[in-house]
Amino acid sequence: MSDTKVSQISLMSNDGTTIRVDRAVAERSILIKNLIDDLGEDSVADQAIPINNVNDPVLKKVIEWCEHHKNDAAVSTDDDNDNRKKTTDIDEWDQKFMQVDQEMLFEIILAANFMDIKALLDVGCKTVANMIKGKSPDEIRKTFNITNDFTPEEEEQIRRENEWAEDR
Amino acid sequence: MPPAAYPAGAIVRDDVDSTWKTLRDGIDSIMTNLQQGLDLQDYMRLYTTVHNFCTSQKAVQFGTNQLGGHRGAHLLGEDLYKLLTKYLTDHLKDLAAESKTHKDEALLSFYIKEWDRYTNAAKYVHHIFRYLNRHWVKREMDEGKKNVYDVYTLHLVQWREVLFNDVSVRVMDAVLKLVEKHRNGETIEHSQIKLVVDSFISLGLDEGDSTKPTMDVYRYHFERPFIDATKVFYQEESKQFVAENSVVEYMKKAESRLAEEEERVGLYLPGDIIIPLKKACNEVLIQEHSNLLRDEFQGLLDGNKEDDMKRMYSLLSRIPQGLDPLRTKFENHVRKAGLAAVAKVASDAEKLEPKVYVDALLETHTQYRNLVKTAFNDEAEFTRSLDNACREFVNRNEVCKAGSNKSPELLAKYTDILLRKSSTGAEDNTLEETLGQIMTVFKYIEDKDVFQKFYSRMLARRLVHSNSSSDDAETSMISKLKEACGFEYTTKLQRMFQDMQISKDLNNGYKAHVAALQGSADEEGKGLDSTYSVLGTGFWPLTAPGTNFNPPQEVAKDCERFVRFYKNKHDGRKLTWLWQLCKGEVKANYVRNARMAYSFQVSVYQMAILLLFNEKDKNTYEEIAETTQLNAEALDPSLGILLKAKVLTSAGNKNGAGATYALNYDFKNKKFRVNLNVGMKSETKAEEAETNKTIEEDRKLLLQSAIVRIMKARKKMKHQQLVSETINQIRGRFVPKVADIKKCIEILLDKEYLERLEDEELGYLA
Repeated sequence: MSDTKVSQISLMSNDGTTIRVDRAVAERSILIKNLIDDLGEDSVADQAIPINNVNDPVLKKVIEWCEHHKNDAAVSTDDDNDNRKKTTDIDEWDQKFMQVDQEMLFEIILAANFMDIKALLDVGCKTVANMIKGKSPDEIRKTFNITNDFTPEEEEQIRRENEWAEDR
Repeated sequence: MPPAAYPAGAIVRDDVDSTWKTLRDGIDSIMTNLQQGLDLQDYMRLYTTVHNFCTSQKAVQFGTNQLGGHRGAHLLGEDLYKLLTKYLTDHLKDLAAESKTHKDEALLSFYIKEWDRYTNAAKYVHHIFRYLNRHWVKREMDEGKKNVYDVYTLHLVQWREVLFNDVSVRVMDAVLKLVEKHRNGETIEHSQIKLVVDSFISLGLDEGDSTKPTMDVYRYHFERPFIDATKVFYQEESKQFVAENSVVEYMKKAESRLAEEEERVGLYLPGDIIIPLKKACNEVLIQEHSNLLRDEFQGLLDGNKEDDMKRMYSLLSRIPQGLDPLRTKFENHVRKAGLAAVAKVASDAEKLEPKVYVDALLETHTQYRNLVKTAFNDEAEFTRSLDNACREFVNRNEVCKAGSNKSPELLAKYTDILLRKSSTGAEDNTLEETLGQIMTVFKYIEDKDVFQKFYSRMLARRLVHSNSSSDDAETSMISKLKEACGFEYTTKLQRMFQDMQISKDLNNGYKAHVAALQGSADEEGKGLDSTYSVLGTGFWPLTAPGTNFNPPQEVAKDCERFVRFYKNKHDGRKLTWLWQLCKGEVKANYVRNARMAYSFQVSVYQMAILLLFNEKDKNTYEEIAETTQLNAEALDPSLGILLKAKVLTSAGNKNGAGATYALNYDFKNKKFRVNLNVGMKSETKAEEAETNKTIEEDRKLLLQSAIVRIMKARKKMKHQQLVSETINQIRGRFVPKVADIKKCIEILLDKEYLERLEDEELGYLA
């Protein structure tokens, strides 16, 4: 796959918009990478790949991320070994990139999950984790607009069970 | 699957049934119709279908209810996984049924074709189900569930469980038939076998960790039957071949078969089969016929069939302990050959020429040394057998029957001949080579002390008579001996050499001294042109003469002067004249009808006799004996030679008491320099006998000094230990007898060097 003839391919969002991107950028997505490996590059030379679950703004955003990260170490197709940092550190560019409204943030995460872009998925999840970190349950509920559906008894029980994790 | 029915983008989030229906159609087309190519739209649609199913809300609720005990979020996919498994099972069952209609090569083709198609499809399906792999399968595996694999591995597992277990035996039969054809010289399609092997290897999956391949399936289903079939094939072939052909032919056959099998490994068998395959081939082709091969060995040795022996060696070296019997036979054979060679030249042991004897030994050694090199890979073990055999026939052969000292004696004599100045002396370059050969034989000599004895005697003679061919050759020989036996062995030889060097300087000094004397006062007229050698008593194997001797006046004067000169230099040293080794030259001015004065090279005894005739022309035996003081043993032979050469005459050629000797004025000889100082046969004979006698004495001393050395170091020692330690120390010189050692210990006890302690122990008394 090193001697690639097709250097640019088209992606089509679910609202029918087509975006042309460098193949290397698109292949940050394991889904697309596998697809090209399986079907051969001829099949994507003159046909847009339909990304059925992602709409145009989100796809653009995802591609923007991929563009920026196209020179990162190549992603291995399979390996799920937990080399990724367990910390919630996010590099500066990614932090800026993730400064979007909540809806967009979740859309990006879903798209990364669908398109199988592990690094982006991680960044998204870390961003969400950072939003939770150091907040009380009520604050978290407020942040994510969640209604409390626990009864007071249930809540008390959960608090007891997780007492060990309290930050004192 | 008509793509029109499922337009891209219109993914139905639906229940399991409709999801599976979509997927099943897709997979089916991948499985059975991949050549047609999978449409980009379809690919994405199938992937999305899996994704959407796994992320559908409805399913989440359904799942949670069912599996409430799950930790964390429940992941969907079990249904899809199960359905896929079932699909594969059905698909493979159909294949298994179809395979029944094929056999042999057709079955192989079928298997390979289906395997290829199936694994290709599996790769696609694996990617399409990637979302399932990433989440549901991963979670199941992380939780340690057995029998859940990623989708590709699932394909392999199903293939193994459903199809492979059913057809593998038949496939293997076909493979083996093909291999047999190949072994029988037919051309086959190697790639088929190679592909089958690859498939078998791929099916080796570690139950614990599916990402780690194992060779179990391949070993059990391929390697084992393959090796078994190989054994059966070659067992039968070799049995038949041996029955119809000679052993020599069989060895060629076996060799080529073994090479063929190794080649086969490169061709279509996996590399790591080589060890068991070789083992199996070695077993049936060599081990099972090893006795037959070995029985042939003697014949090959007798016929000197180098190539066949080389072949036999290389065959038998492949099996454990294969060569041991060969080595034993070889050793025996070489020993016999050596003994036979000696027997051939030993018909008259008394007159045996040293060169002939040593050549006989060397010839055998060289022949078999070369054989070891060419046929036996110059192997250390065979070399040891050769050495053992040579040691045997060098030390214990027909010539040595009379006395075990014969070998070292003859060897030393041969060396002497080589190193002595003579017209037939070997060229320098071949001399060095011959000396090397001497050392080859020397290595095998057990009684190295005997060699040393004879060698030093002969060296002494060469040095004293200054008829050594070259100093370089002498030095080279001594350093060779030193290398072989150590410093101690050659100390005396080296000292002898040194003495000669020192004597040379001494003579120069003496000459200057004499010249100075003559310059100052012209006393005593002309001196003799004399040369003296001063030899250290301990180092030279020489003894004082066995007779009195009154040197002639002319000589005596110079001798006395030299003694004065020497004592002046080295006070307190005792000088003993070894008259029997002295020689000189006299001019015969009296001979009538001589164009030139003859000059006689004579021993100093003869000189003393001849000088008497300066006084008068006739002397009686008694007169000569009276003046010279020589006893009959020295006088008679000296006179005998003079008579024989007709320098003197006696009535009736009578020699001995009562005879009267007259100077022969009519002496004639072709040469003007006449050597009258010829060693007498009886003299050398006596010397030999004496040398042999001293050996026993010296050995006792050697043993005693070794014992004392050991005891001095150890202080206390068991008797038995001491004996074996002594043997160890002395073995380099000769092989001591235990009885002798015991005798020496007794002597040392008597001399109170040692004492007896309790419990068989001996102690050292300082």
